[in-house]
Amino acid sequence: MEKVLEVKGLSKQYKKGVYASQGVTFHVNKGEIFALIGPNGAGKTTTIRMIATLLKATEGDAVVAGHSILTEPDKVRENITYLPDEAGAYKNMKGIDYLKFMAGIYAKDAKSAAEYVERAKEICGLGDRLNDKIGGYSRGMARKLLIARAIMPQPALAIFDEPTSGLDIINALDVRRMIKDLAAKTGMSFLLSSHNMLEIEYVSDRVGIIAKGHVLEVGEPKELIEKYEARNLEEVFERVVKQQ
Amino acid sequence: MLSPSTIATMIITVMVMIMAGNAMSGAVDEAEEESSAITICNQDDTEFTKQVLKFLETPAGGEKNDVKYVTLDSDDYTKELKDKDIKNVVIIPAGFSEKISNSEQATIKYVARMTSLSTMSNVSTGSTNAMNLINAAVKSAFYSSKVQSGALADKEVAMLESPVKVEETTVVADNSQSISPSLIIAATQMSNMFLPIMVFVLVLYSSQMILNAVATEKIDKTLETLLSAPVSRLSVLTAKMLAAGIVAGINAIVYMFGMNRMTSSVSNLTSSSVDNLDEVLKNLGLTLSVGDYVLVGVQMFLTILITLSISLVLGALAKDMKSTQSYILPVMVMAMIPYMLSMFVDITTLTPALKYAVYAIPFTHTFMATQNVMFGNTTLYWAGLAYQLVLLILCMGFAVRVFTSDKIFTMTLSFGKKKHKSAEE
Ligand SMILES: Nc1ncnc2c1ncn2[C@@H]1O[C@H](COP(=O)(O)OP(=O)(O)O)[C@@H](O)[C@H]1O
Ligand SMILES: [Mg+2]
Repeated sequence: MEKVLEVKGLSKQYKKGVYASQGVTFHVNKGEIFALIGPNGAGKTTTIRMIATLLKATEGDAVVAGHSILTEPDKVRENITYLPDEAGAYKNMKGIDYLKFMAGIYAKDAKSAAEYVERAKEICGLGDRLNDKIGGYSRGMARKLLIARAIMPQPALAIFDEPTSGLDIINALDVRRMIKDLAAKTGMSFLLSSHNMLEIEYVSDRVGIIAKGHVLEVGEPKELIEKYEARNLEEVFERVVKQQ
Repeated sequence: MLSPSTIATMIITVMVMIMAGNAMSGAVDEAEEESSAITICNQDDTEFTKQVLKFLETPAGGEKNDVKYVTLDSDDYTKELKDKDIKNVVIIPAGFSEKISNSEQATIKYVARMTSLSTMSNVSTGSTNAMNLINAAVKSAFYSSKVQSGALADKEVAMLESPVKVEETTVVADNSQSISPSLIIAATQMSNMFLPIMVFVLVLYSSQMILNAVATEKIDKTLETLLSAPVSRLSVLTAKMLAAGIVAGINAIVYMFGMNRMTSSVSNLTSSSVDNLDEVLKNLGLTLSVGDYVLVGVQMFLTILITLSISLVLGALAKDMKSTQSYILPVMVMAMIPYMLSMFVDITTLTPALKYAVYAIPFTHTFMATQNVMFGNTTLYWAGLAYQLVLLILCMGFAVRVFTSDKIFTMTLSFGKKKHKSAEE
């Protein structure tokens, strides 16, 4: 199967000698939803930021759609979109203007920019509220807008850091459904992260369990649950960590 | 509320204030000492003037005065004061005692060289004191010789009212005019007060603006989004810098405009008290020509650019909006010290150690720009500008490095506790 992302021994030290992530290795297949799951401070954001070319890797490499983050970060950026953890948008902009602004950055010409905006309008489901300033949006609305923004260029890989964190149940459900539907419909690939191991079970095709900077297990949720004789991913996580 | 960073901020603020206070009081003491000095040039070599000067040195019932005597080789006061490095001098011209003995009003000359428009540096209590004492000495001598000898003629009564007339001359750089320095101070007081306030406000305003803009982008993670998009980091930074530069340009122009309005409205205000004041100020070089405005404007533009590049980096340190507000402190301190000092004292006359410490603050040169241009301190102006240019390149370079590397995500302030995400769980 074609790999959209291949992460090979990726490590990061913010301070010399202290690894925030170490030897992280996994891959994401084309059309797949892959989730990094682990508690806060496990190294999810650090790993994701390296893949998104924002942080320099201390060791290791990652290849996105055939381009290395070390040697071709520009090409990598052309093939990804990234939704930061707890991201916001320009509060003084109207939702629609934000979409147009971002479409302008990702699109090659005006025609495709207009297409992107149309697609985003449909995905976010905000309707007329797009004409309001983002400052007046609820968290759920803002998150949907940002997800629509990240999906509109249909990149090879969409990277979402904790896409549901801080949302209420209904909005979190909406967001999960959005991601799942889009993956099925467009064949796009996703790299997600979450500290909520229960919800991720329902969204992702495969998961990587990360703790203290190390990826300890990778596999399909069902497969892992069976392997560890657990009832859910949370118990899997508990057992995986205990084994260490 | 009382997080370590808040406390650190408070401590630093207090320390800076104490330091600024010490610098101020040192400078003020020095200015006071200088202000009480008396310099006399006696061109009237008679027994009578000797008596008058003796009285000046040891006034009856008063403290002894320290009087310095100089000789001027010509009437070219501009040159003489500059060559002999004298701030001000009371001249007793030849024929002084002869006039007195003829019961005519005598004249003394007071020449003062202004090197700044700051209030403290232009007050010469010593000279005022000297002139009063000369007046008193003449009066009492006259009294004892004439009044006691019998009736006074009309002319002598008039003369007794004001036996000595003072002719005042002010020297600025290479120009001199017959006007008293105190009148000039009065005429320029308004602009002298408000222009530094404008610089101060503009610096803080631009700093706050860019600091908030960058901090918001950092906290809302819109910067992170932009930097992961297929645009080069340098072009993102260039766009930000360009926007900031345009703001700086507009600010500098607003400043120049305000300055122009201020000075013209002020001279309208005071021109009633002295006719041709405009002319006098112009002849002294105390009005700004178009070229001067350009020089001051360039200085202002550089200043705001430095402020903006410092603020870019400070904004990149932001973790939350609340703590960000205190990040403007270093900029505030750098503006506050020269602002306060330049209002009251002539920075060029501070002790070398203090002076160079103040010169090291980039904004000092902005507060001094007008003065340097007016008083012909061209070397100081260009040196200040060069220094600011070097600093600007360093600050910009650092900002570029922060924004084009992953420092923007890893840089933290060394003081202030790091709050880890894990605490939220
Ligand atoms: N900018 C930074 N400087 C220093 N240490 C950091 C920085 N960001 C994260 N860390 C540390 O790296 C580790 C992993 O953090 P992170 O990747 O944010 O985890 P997660 O996203 O899984 O919650 C943590 O111990 C965190 O404290
Ligand atoms: Mg995280």
